[in-house]
Amino acid sequence: MTRLKVSRMEIEADKEDMGLVLLKQGAEARVFESTFVGRKSIVKERFSKKYRHPTLDSKLTLKRLNAEARCMTKARKLGVATPVLFSVDPVLHTLMFEYVEGPMVKELLLEFGTNGIVEERLQDIATQIGDSIAKLHDGGLIHGDLTTSNMLIRKDTNKLGEVIDKGPLKDKAVDLYVLERALISMHSSCGNVVGYAGSYPCHMMERVLAAYRKSSKQWCSTLNKLAQVKQRGRKRSMVG
Amino acid sequence: MQAGNLEPEVAFFNASLITDVFPVLAAAHKALLSKRRESLTTRTLHSELIYNYSGSKHITESLKRCGISDSCSYVLAARFDASMDEMKAVQEIIKGQEIDLEELAGRANQAQIQKHYKISSQELGVSTLADSIICRIAARDAL
Repeated sequence: MTRLKVSRMEIEADKEDMGLVLLKQGAEARVFESTFVGRKSIVKERFSKKYRHPTLDSKLTLKRLNAEARCMTKARKLGVATPVLFSVDPVLHTLMFEYVEGPMVKELLLEFGTNGIVEERLQDIATQIGDSIAKLHDGGLIHGDLTTSNMLIRKDTNKLGEVIDKGPLKDKAVDLYVLERALISMHSSCGNVVGYAGSYPCHMMERVLAAYRKSSKQWCSTLNKLAQVKQRGRKRSMVG
Repeated sequence: MQAGNLEPEVAFFNASLITDVFPVLAAAHKALLSKRRESLTTRTLHSELIYNYSGSKHITESLKRCGISDSCSYVLAARFDASMDEMKAVQEIIKGQEIDLEELAGRANQAQIQKHYKISSQELGVSTLADSIICRIAARDAL
């Protein structure tokens, strides 16, 4: 490493302090855009909750931070495309990862709604989604919040790059159910589209499931469970 | 050499484990952060760099694998905030020919990297070697 490189890095480090651009603020974390040694990156900061006891708060925050980092790398090991994790900071409670350039699956689908469907693209996306979910589930990971806005299509390769934004643990069938609801609700939000285009989210779900069935080893029990979950809704317990 | 008494202090990598400088920079970022917080795990900043790059929690093992040995003929030297004179001194320590950083990718030993970082072929389907290495460097303390 030459002197030049090091000094460049110092500049980047300084920029990091000043050049944070707030993108989104959620209930648990703030998301910023920044740079990490010269690459565009996303910073996700879990902030402390003032209403919690300080000790409990820092423990919970740290636990979730580490869990998220673990899940991102584990998913990667399973062959699911996730953003590259750059750094984990246990003191500031931040994760830094790669900025994935490209549209959300949601945006793409909405575009299909207005501009008409490109059949092969739709099939391709659905297959990739099904594949990825199957890999996650077979590896014992459950996403918890599978929606079309949590999936990105990488601009350069047209490949799916999923954002792991893990919610509370539920089961695999619920995971799929959440995705289906997400697709259907989107369908109603662009409900003015008529004909085949209007019902494509349902077709989409069928295709996702078809791909899921192909690549998952435990598809049978999960899909049976999905049918049950559909009847009872997401939260209602089956007991009692 | 990693005893902490080398002057100027330099980190020597076994360069066949390095495909790109970016993971090294990520490891350096992490080392600087712990230095600033006075929470270095190893004795010096430069040994911390090698320890971080290895992605393992075993210091001796990291220095053995990612550092250099007597038989090592392909070395990457790294120093924080180096002056020209210091780089000259480093050049004198290493008896060899200097090559361009661009050659890292071509000269890396993929089999050795995959074995060291336990990178499956499944993972390589969605990621490059360098990206996989960065993930391991970043996530080490979270595991």
